[in-house]
Amino acid sequence: MGTRRVTNLALLVSIGLVLSIIESTFPPLLPLPGAKLGLANIATVIALYLFGPSMALEVTVLRCLIGGLLRGSVIGLFLSFSGGLVSTLVMIALYILLRRQLSIIGVSVAGAVTHNATQLAVAFLLVGHATLFNYLPYLTLIAVPTGLFVGFCSRRVSNSLEGLSLAVR
Amino acid sequence: MKKHKPNKITAGDVILTVLVVIASFASMVLIARATAGGKGSTAVIEVNTKKVLRIELSADQPEKTYTVRGMLGPSTVEVEKGRARMLTSTCRDKICVGTGWVDAPGKEIVCLPNRVVIRITGERKPGRVDTVTE
Repeated sequence: MGTRRVTNLALLVSIGLVLSIIESTFPPLLPLPGAKLGLANIATVIALYLFGPSMALEVTVLRCLIGGLLRGSVIGLFLSFSGGLVSTLVMIALYILLRRQLSIIGVSVAGAVTHNATQLAVAFLLVGHATLFNYLPYLTLIAVPTGLFVGFCSRRVSNSLEGLSLAVR
Repeated sequence: MKKHKPNKITAGDVILTVLVVIASFASMVLIARATAGGKGSTAVIEVNTKKVLRIELSADQPEKTYTVRGMLGPSTVEVEKGRARMLTSTCRDKICVGTGWVDAPGKEIVCLPNRVVIRITGERKPGRVDTVTE
């Protein structure tokens, strides 16, 4: 792993962490657990589009682990780690398989939806109430605007960075 | 890595987004339908600890009354929209009538003098979570 790659990885992880800290100061969007803006996902989406799948995966894993340790909640770590991992894998799959059909926006929406769905599934495993799944449509619905927002932010950033040598691997 | 232009919104983006929205609303409707009847499920009426009547409850059921013979005389039970109450009772102090409507599983109306009990049984109310921490 070259110095440039380590530096870029560290930068992206920091961006993700700072974004999630900033987001945690926002009042909750809706009185629904799990309905978050998901700003930190911007770091993953940028990593995916500027540096490729493996960078995106590394950013997500590190961001969730460090973020979980910073927040000090084991359950929170489980939730964000599982959600982050599955959504990143789905985004990578779509990025590779449907490169023509989906832009950065669609990939981001898919990531947001799978993130929320996975968190709910893990919450179900932890709590064991099947009735939790009644929340699923609300969470997937709220994931659409948040995913769009993250997608547009990521597009803006990656458009600006694409020409820079910073982003060249 | 070959350069690609991934940033123009595609038809796929629109299709995906619309599909998610439609699927979300569709499952909301389905869940609302599936859980509507589960509000109380069944009203069981007991006289002197013996079950005499089981009435299925659903959110859209019309008003209906049932009369059972208690120890002192008849009691009338009214059922509507997934809930039940003691409408009239042949007892002295009418505590059962004063209890009003019951709709949640585990709730009951007891008329001790007439030995009539209305009990709601079934699944706990869905979607009710005590607390979620993050």
